[in-house]
Amino acid sequence: MRQWFRIAFPKDYSDRQNRAGFLFVLPALLFFGSVFILPLAQSIMYSFYKIAPGGASQFVGLRLYEKVLTDSTFWTAVQNTIQLVLFSVPTTVICALAVALGLNRITNLKWRNVWAAMYFLPFATSLVAAALIWQWIYEPVYGFLNYALSFVGIPPQKWLQSLFQVRPAIAAVSVWVRIGFDTMIFLAALQSIPEQYYEAARIDGANAVQQLRHITLPLLNPQILMVCILELIFNFKIFDQVYATTQGGPASASQTVIMLLYDTAFKFFRFGDASVMAVFVFITLLVVTLLQWRIFRKPVEY
Amino acid sequence: MQRGGWRMLVILAAVLVAVTIPDSSFAQQKKLVFWTHWEQNPDFNKWYETKGKEFAKKTGYEVELVTIPYQGYEAKYLAAFMAKSGAPDMFMGMANQWCGQYDFCDKMPADLEKVYDENLPKYMIPIGKWKGVRYGIPIEHGNFQQMYINVDMFKKAGLNPDKPPKTMNEWLAAMKKLTIADPKGGEPTQVGFAIRSKGHPVGITDKFLPFAHAWDARLLSPDLDKATGYANSPQMVAALTFFGNLVLKDKVASLAFGNPEDAFGQKRAAVIFRESWFFGWLKKNAPDVNFKVYALPCEKTCPGAGALFPWTDLVYKNSPNKQMAWEFYKFISNAKDDMEHHQSQGILPVWTVNLDTAYVKSRPDYQSTKDMLAQPVPPTYFHPKSNELATAFGEAVVGVLFGKGQPKPLLDDAAARMDRILKD
Amino acid sequence: MNSIAPSDDVSPHAGLSVRQVYFRWLITLAVACGAITIFFPFFWMAITSLKTAPEIQRVPLQITPDHWFNLTNYFEVFKREPFLRYLLNSTIVASIAAVSSLVVSSLAGFGFAKYHFPGRDAFFLAVVGIMMVPFQSVVVPLYNWMNHLGLLDTYMGIVAPDLVSVFGVFLMRQAIEMIPNDYIDQARIDGCSELRIFFSVILPSVKPAMATLLIIKFMWNWNEFFWPMVVINSPTMKVVTMGLMSFTNMYFIEYNLLTAAAVISILPILLIFITLQRWVVQAVVMSGLKG
Repeated sequence: MRQWFRIAFPKDYSDRQNRAGFLFVLPALLFFGSVFILPLAQSIMYSFYKIAPGGASQFVGLRLYEKVLTDSTFWTAVQNTIQLVLFSVPTTVICALAVALGLNRITNLKWRNVWAAMYFLPFATSLVAAALIWQWIYEPVYGFLNYALSFVGIPPQKWLQSLFQVRPAIAAVSVWVRIGFDTMIFLAALQSIPEQYYEAARIDGANAVQQLRHITLPLLNPQILMVCILELIFNFKIFDQVYATTQGGPASASQTVIMLLYDTAFKFFRFGDASVMAVFVFITLLVVTLLQWRIFRKPVEY
Repeated sequence: MQRGGWRMLVILAAVLVAVTIPDSSFAQQKKLVFWTHWEQNPDFNKWYETKGKEFAKKTGYEVELVTIPYQGYEAKYLAAFMAKSGAPDMFMGMANQWCGQYDFCDKMPADLEKVYDENLPKYMIPIGKWKGVRYGIPIEHGNFQQMYINVDMFKKAGLNPDKPPKTMNEWLAAMKKLTIADPKGGEPTQVGFAIRSKGHPVGITDKFLPFAHAWDARLLSPDLDKATGYANSPQMVAALTFFGNLVLKDKVASLAFGNPEDAFGQKRAAVIFRESWFFGWLKKNAPDVNFKVYALPCEKTCPGAGALFPWTDLVYKNSPNKQMAWEFYKFISNAKDDMEHHQSQGILPVWTVNLDTAYVKSRPDYQSTKDMLAQPVPPTYFHPKSNELATAFGEAVVGVLFGKGQPKPLLDDAAARMDRILKD
Repeated sequence: MNSIAPSDDVSPHAGLSVRQVYFRWLITLAVACGAITIFFPFFWMAITSLKTAPEIQRVPLQITPDHWFNLTNYFEVFKREPFLRYLLNSTIVASIAAVSSLVVSSLAGFGFAKYHFPGRDAFFLAVVGIMMVPFQSVVVPLYNWMNHLGLLDTYMGIVAPDLVSVFGVFLMRQAIEMIPNDYIDQARIDGCSELRIFFSVILPSVKPAMATLLIIKFMWNWNEFFWPMVVINSPTMKVVTMGLMSFTNMYFIEYNLLTAAAVISILPILLIFITLQRWVVQAVVMSGLKG
């Protein structure tokens, strides 16, 4: 409280500075507050109410939490989602980092822009369209993938129609879409690293690998952390790719939490149950993000 | 380069400001807004607007059509209905959901109700009703599966395409003849039956129902309040065993054949069960397929005409224009308009008197539709939770197809789950 | 000059051992291979958009279209849907979102990165937390809210939830964090106000991040489908993705038309990307390291 008072009525230079900092943040806070607080509160409130046929709602306390969290369908969806996340998040981040480092080393600017554009193009496609195009590349009979594999003597695979291949196949679509996005962030950060650091390192006789380990990666730490968090959130909330292609099939093999949430809310008209799932997703992501933050975040020293 | 970039931004910003100034010319015209997600029938949808112009001459109200993408339409409908504003006056949907689960529909005026009760084919009477009250106008006739066969493949297999199999056993024998196994033991190169192999369990349930009904099984009790004893009855187990064996044991259908419609269109599958829209699809995408349409084969009973998705035209309860909306529906509720409306899209008309018009007679599915209509009406499950119930049931069907378990225990599970849904 | 390579000062190969030259070629090769793999689906998409419906269904698969200049699908796309109008709408919506997001996010990013006002971390976490909420679960209340504000079926209605993106705040915060504090302190000693520091020290150093944000935010909103679909009714207000989706329906997907429409919808983005990409990569030259 006292701190706030000092911000409102600054006593010294550092108070004034902090007030300026708060004012910089204020527009964003006001925006998020005004647009999202109300819907968020309402959505959480739904999780304590059951909507009966006819549209009347009835307060049921934690009953819906008990119902959803003991439902095996829900946990299958959670498991599938975690698998998808484990497939796609590390792949995306590592590939994107490698690509960014590679692109950063290409000296011919024109070509570098061409390659960068190619990596980035998938992100320029709407998720649903991207998923549909992939669905069709995966098509077991006249899809391109099986056609290409037939040249290496691999028999046709079922991909999206297989209980075991469907998750990797969908994860691949996510990687494909997101790789350019992450690359872009890394590339921008790489470009911002002051050249003196490298010069100093070279004078000290550091080779390329040492430079990468001791300068580039530590300096990229904020971006790596951010990309990991963003990818986790994006992939945990995977929906469009699944909804547009398998709709959770075959036999629930690609049922994800948000997919189930959508069906529950809009196909089954159970808003309460869906809100419970939303709260679950929110809390899970919050906890994992905080953990990531704790583990990865090291103060950048200059 | 820098300056060029900024200049571009400034120009962009100017254009933006110019365009975002709202259309002030937007005159508040009197209109009825109609929502549909039947994207595949654009001409059918357009017709409401065309007819709305005629209607406007009488009443001053035009009809504005909004076609909503099928991807995610449920969310849009629901958000608008709950907000009460931005919602349509008239919309297409299922009465059991929008009127049963929610209270969004306006009851149909008695005089119009009488018109429909008198003029619909028998099986369509319950469509658009909830708890005996009529809310909606059924718009889709032929939303039940029929048997499409590939004539050339039948001939090649030594079968008579003019004498389709009548019983499930005959049918299975024919399927076996039509399947060409892969000598190397892989997936067959040609299958008898194009089976639905992916997608939402609701869709699978829909496609399995003719088999269930042929074995005289039903998903729910006649009062739609109980699943155990119905969804897992011995008949249902027999039907699902037969269905699963098509893939697992008899191998006359394959899950690796991709889209069933494509498989039939590409002459890799000889038979498919589909609704009446399929013949339009074939004409467009696979014009060289020589096909015929027949009624579905029977087992204990014959699966007659019945729908899992009872699409109807409804009126939104909170619409300020609902009176006028009903006037519009009355305006188009006659045999001539019904004919014109459906023929514009090449789909089957709804009114009984129109089922013998020249247009309907000229369709390849004329006779088969007649045959299907002559069969007893199969059970329907127009329940507010039909989606959720069908999903729970569909999980069992998919489970069998993908070898996750035996029909009996999976159906027991599904039935228990369905009972829980019904009670909750 | 920048971190492109240690050899920028003279000719590309000067002072490099043979091994280093090979290494460099290897990197280029790897990057190019990856790029081509990633690009392939677009190539496939473009090829498909030149085929007719029966041609697509052909088994065995045929890679090349029968006629390379068969543009009927494109004509059909424009005939069926007012795609130019959709392109315009999407451009408007995406530009507003990108620009407003850039302004607010860079301010907030600065505030979060370099100041210590009370509750800073809690606020930041709250902002990031918004990303963790499944959008599907707030759609109905959000629609209600937009309805109260009278924004249904307007451009503002589409962009309202996207005017500031959490991602933007996050990106700018991380980028600004990388700026050495010395620069800021130096500017303060020179007598700059905080806002002045923002404009003359911070913004010039994070141009790559700003360009990245503009591009990403633009695309993000360009590709937004679900929310515009929920708020928009009038055909004249529809955005590109809605036009795209009109080639799929309950029963089937018209791949030849969908791909043609997808190609059309990607071209403008590609243009923007190529324009702004130069800022991402070259802006560093301008960053004027004052240290």
